[in-house]
Amino acid sequence: MRSRLAGTLIGVVFGITLCWSGMSNPTVIREALLFERAYLFLMFASAVLVAVIGLQTLRRRRARALLTGAPLTWTRDQPGRRHVTGSALFGLGWGIADACPGPIAAQIGQGVPWALFTIAGVLAGVYLFLRQGAAESEPAADATPEAMTVAYRPLLAPRA
Amino acid sequence: MLDHQLAWYVAGPVLGLCVVVCRALFNGRLGVTGGYSEVVAQLVRGSVRFDWRGWFLIGIVVGGMLFAVLGGGAGVGGYGWLTGTFHGVLGQVVIAAVLLVAGVLIGFGAKTAGGCTSGNGLTGTSMLSPASLVATATFFGAAIIVSFVIEAVI
Repeated sequence: MRSRLAGTLIGVVFGITLCWSGMSNPTVIREALLFERAYLFLMFASAVLVAVIGLQTLRRRRARALLTGAPLTWTRDQPGRRHVTGSALFGLGWGIADACPGPIAAQIGQGVPWALFTIAGVLAGVYLFLRQGAAESEPAADATPEAMTVAYRPLLAPRA
Repeated sequence: MLDHQLAWYVAGPVLGLCVVVCRALFNGRLGVTGGYSEVVAQLVRGSVRFDWRGWFLIGIVVGGMLFAVLGGGAGVGGYGWLTGTFHGVLGQVVIAAVLLVAGVLIGFGAKTAGGCTSGNGLTGTSMLSPASLVATATFFGAAIIVSFVIEAVI
């Protein structure tokens, strides 16, 4: 229950930030993908930098999840063919619609009528995937049959 | 205030912190495609008992609503290169069809790859997952190539 509430609130912050940074505006995305503006790449890089530092810090402190008490564990996948083929299809759709799943949801909230068609397609695409591969359940990138999971070692591990 | 694009050095760290907070609170792997997946999987079963990922997706929609209500603009009007290229009633049908097909590619492709711009691009990359690094390089590359092809054709 508390995880759901927290998830919703994180979603609200995420959605407002996507709108405020222009990510729900297809023209902004297109300008980025045509290398006309560096904004998206700078934003993306700073987001990853902050998340890397944050996750490493959690790891080093051997922290437990604040709401559930679960140990903070995660695994890393080795790249497989599906990461390339899936991402190629995804990138193709992203470059055409100039919106990816997060901004599409934000556009729905903002009242962009065209987003109704995009989101209908996304839901259909997800449904098609779930139907053909019922064995492959979530979380797909965390545990998959063909993915060889490697133990996570912090980059900035303190010397023993 | 909301009608000015938020500085990248504010927007980026906020998105990055969302990834960290998801992990810190309930060991969650932030990813929007996971939200769509949860919603579809539950609805197919006739259930609306979504887990946090489904609620995260709903939160994003609410965030978009709040942004519009608080004066950030509804974002209505044209839709990028599509409404700039296709006009009239027939044009609108073309745009709807193009967005629908693009949406299917986005949903099916992101599920196949185990994540989209958030799940692989932000979270997986931040976990230094080799699979996510490959996925991120691939979808950025594909989207950039497609954009330049469209630019050359229209």
